[in-house]
Amino acid sequence: MRKVKKPVFFIVFILIALFTVSVIFGFTYYYGDMSTVYIKGVNNIRFGIDIKGGVDVTFTPPEGVDATEDQLDSAKEVIVQRMINLGITDYECYIDKNTDRIIVRFPWKEGEANFDPESAVKELGETAQLTFREGDERDSSGVYTGVTAENVILEGKDVRQAYAGYQNADESSAAQYVVVLKLNDEGTKKFADATKKLYEEGGCISIWMDETMISAPTVSAVITDGNAIIEGHFDADSSKQLADKINSGALPFKLVTASFSTISPSLGAGALEAMIIAGIIAFALIAVFMIVVYRLPGAVAVISITGQIAATLAFVSGYFGFMNSSILTIPGIAGIILAVGMGVDANIITSERIKEELYNGKTLDGAVNSGFKRAFTAILDGNVTTVIVAIILMGAFGTPDSIFSKLLSFVFFMFGQSTAGMIYSFGFTLAVGVLLNLFFGVLCTRLMLTSLSKFRIMRNPKLYGGGKNA
Amino acid sequence: MRKFNIDFVGKRKVFFTISIVLIAVSILSTFIFGVKLDIQFKGGTLITYLYDGDIDTAEFEKTAEDALGGLAVNVTTGKDFSTGKNNIQISLVSNTGLTSDKQYELSNVIQEKYAANSIELVESTDISPSSGKEFFQKCLVAVAFASILLVIYIAVRFKNIGGWLAGACAVIALIHDCIIVYGTFVVAHMSINANFMAVILTILGYSINDTIITYDRIRENQQLYKKTMTRAEIVNLSINQTLVRSINTSITTIATMLVVTIVAVIYGIDSILSFSLPMVVGMISGVYSSVCIASPLWVVLEGIREKKKPAAKK
Repeated sequence: MRKVKKPVFFIVFILIALFTVSVIFGFTYYYGDMSTVYIKGVNNIRFGIDIKGGVDVTFTPPEGVDATEDQLDSAKEVIVQRMINLGITDYECYIDKNTDRIIVRFPWKEGEANFDPESAVKELGETAQLTFREGDERDSSGVYTGVTAENVILEGKDVRQAYAGYQNADESSAAQYVVVLKLNDEGTKKFADATKKLYEEGGCISIWMDETMISAPTVSAVITDGNAIIEGHFDADSSKQLADKINSGALPFKLVTASFSTISPSLGAGALEAMIIAGIIAFALIAVFMIVVYRLPGAVAVISITGQIAATLAFVSGYFGFMNSSILTIPGIAGIILAVGMGVDANIITSERIKEELYNGKTLDGAVNSGFKRAFTAILDGNVTTVIVAIILMGAFGTPDSIFSKLLSFVFFMFGQSTAGMIYSFGFTLAVGVLLNLFFGVLCTRLMLTSLSKFRIMRNPKLYGGGKNA
Repeated sequence: MRKFNIDFVGKRKVFFTISIVLIAVSILSTFIFGVKLDIQFKGGTLITYLYDGDIDTAEFEKTAEDALGGLAVNVTTGKDFSTGKNNIQISLVSNTGLTSDKQYELSNVIQEKYAANSIELVESTDISPSSGKEFFQKCLVAVAFASILLVIYIAVRFKNIGGWLAGACAVIALIHDCIIVYGTFVVAHMSINANFMAVILTILGYSINDTIITYDRIRENQQLYKKTMTRAEIVNLSINQTLVRSINTSITTIATMLVVTIVAVIYGIDSILSFSLPMVVGMISGVYSSVCIASPLWVVLEGIREKKKPAAKK
C-alpha cells in the first residue's frame, strides 16, 4: 500500500459522499404525474409488519386431516386469490410441506384506519365451498340434511366464471343485485339434467356457501345455456364479495390458525421513530468519541462508517439492481446497529495498533502500514465468526425457499417454518453489514488514512495518538 | 500512551469466583422467581385494545370470558405512550390456541358492548403450544449448531495456540454470557421471547469477537516471545495490549445500546426495551468473560493437558 498517492483520499471520500447521498435520496424521474424510480432511495425501503403494522398468520388443516402436497398448493393459490380480492397485494405466502402449514404475512392496508384484520383472516381461512343442492331440507340448526345433503347438483369447480350483476331474475320481479354464474361444459350438462328433473317434479334447488344457505329458488324452467343466477338480498358489495369467493375457488378443507398475530400501524410507527432517533444520537456520540480519542484515524473512521451504514441501507432498499430489496424489521435495525458496532471496532483495533507501533518507535509510514497489516487478522477472524452466527440465523428463520434455509436444512429439517421470520432480518442486516465492514472499515479506511499521511501537515504523530518520542 | 500491566492470569481465582457466583445467582433466581415464558414459546393468546374513557376491568373480563364460552382470561390495563391512550390487554393460555373465528367473535362482542369507549385493536398474538415449543427448540438447536461451528473455526484458525482447547474456552465464555443474559431476563421479570433469542445470538457473535481479538494477539506474541516468556506471561501481555481496544469498543457499543434503551423508555416501547437492556448486560458480560475468563482458563487447561502428557511437550 506504499503506492497510495495523495489524491486517493479525496477520490474515496467523494465516492463515499456521493454514494451516501444517492442511497438516501435515490433517483426518481418525474414526468408530469408519472414517476419512474431509477435508483431506490431510503424512502423505498419496505418495512416489516412490526413497523408498519400488519398480519402474520399460520394456517393448518384441522386436526386429523393429513393434507397432500397438491392440496396445500391449491390452498395457497386460493388464499393468494382471496388476498388480491381483498385488495392486499404486498403479501408473502409460503407453504411448508413438512408440517402442513401455510404461512401468510401481509401489511395493514395503507390508508385504511378501520381495516379489520380479524375478519380478513377469518375470510382467508374459510372453506368457501359453493354447492347447488336438490330441495331445501334443513335440520334445526339450518344445515342441509336428507336428500339435500346427498344430492349435490353443482360445485364451485363447475363454475367457469362468476360476476356480480344488477338485473331482474324473471319478468315479474324488480331489478336487484345478483351473482351471475357461467358454468363450464360439464356444469352446464349437470345443471340442465337437474333443472329438467326438478322442473317436472316442481322441486327447488338450494344454493349454499359452506353450511349457510343463500337462497332456494323454485325451478321454473329447464336451463340448458349454462347460465345460473343466485338471488339472495345482496347489495353491490356483498354480491361482488360472493362472486369473488366463488372465482377464487374453494379450499380443500377448512383452515384453522396455528398462530395469528396483528400489529396496528400506529404501534410500529412509534417504534420506528424511536429507533431512528436512537440511531442518530448514537452515531453522533460515536463520531465525537472516535475523533476525540483517535484524532485523525478517528475522523477517517467516521467517514468509512458512514459509507458502511449507507451501503447496508442500499442492500435493504434494493439500490443495487441485481439484488431484490429485503424487508426491514425492528430486529433488522438492531442488526445494522450491531454491524456498525463491529465497524467501529475494526477502526479502533487499527487505530490502537498504529498508536502502539508509533510508541514502539516506528516511523509514521511504517506504523500506519504495519498497524493495518497486524490489525487485519484480528478483524477478519472476528468478522467471520459473526457472519457464521448471522448465516445460521438466516438459515433457521428464513423462508423455506431461501438459499440459507436450503443450505442448513440438514440441521433444521425436523422443524417447520416458524412464525418469527423477523429474526431473519436481523441475520441479513448483520451479515451484510459485517461483510461491508471488511470493505469500508478495512479497505477504505486504509486507503484514506495512508493517502492522508502523505500530506506534510498530516505528518505530526500526535494526530495519530503517538507519543512525543515517536 | 497508557499501558496496563494487570496480572489477569494470576488473579484468575477472583474472576472465576465472581463468574461462578453470578451463574449460581442466575440459576437460583430461576427457582426463586420462576421463569416467565412468553406465549411465543408456551402458546396462548394476547390481545391488546386501545380505548377511551373508563372501563371496569372485572366486568371486561367477564364479558371476554362469556364471549369465549367460559375460557378463563386475564385482563390488565395500561397506558400506550406513543398514542397517549389507555390500553387493555386480554391474555389467556389455552391448549389449542384461539382460532381466528373465536377472536373475531370476541372483538365483535367487545366492540359492541363498549361502543362508547371506541375500542380499537392494536396488537394480537395467538400461538398454539405446539408451534411455540417448536420455535423454542429451533432456537436451542440454532445456538448449539452455532457453538459447534465456532469451535471448529477457532480450532482451525488458532492451531498454534492449542486449537480445540482454545475453542472450548471461547465457547465456555459464551455459555457464561448466555447464562448471565438469561439471569437478567429472570431477575428483571421479563418473559423469555424472540428478543431473548436475538440477544443471545448477538452476544454469541459479539463476545466471540472480543475473545478472538485477544487470541489473535496471543497467537502473534507466541511467535515473538515463545522462548523468553511463560505462557501465563504471554497471555497477560496480550490481554493488557488489547485492553484499551476492548474497553473503547465496549464503550461505543454499550453507549449505543444505552441510547436505544433510554429512547425506548421515553417512548415506552417495551419490545425494544426487552431487547436493548439485556443486550447491555450481555455486552458487559461479553467483554468481561473474554478478558478475564477465556484466556486465563485456557492457560489453566493447557497446563493440565501438559501435565497429563509430558511426552507431548516439545
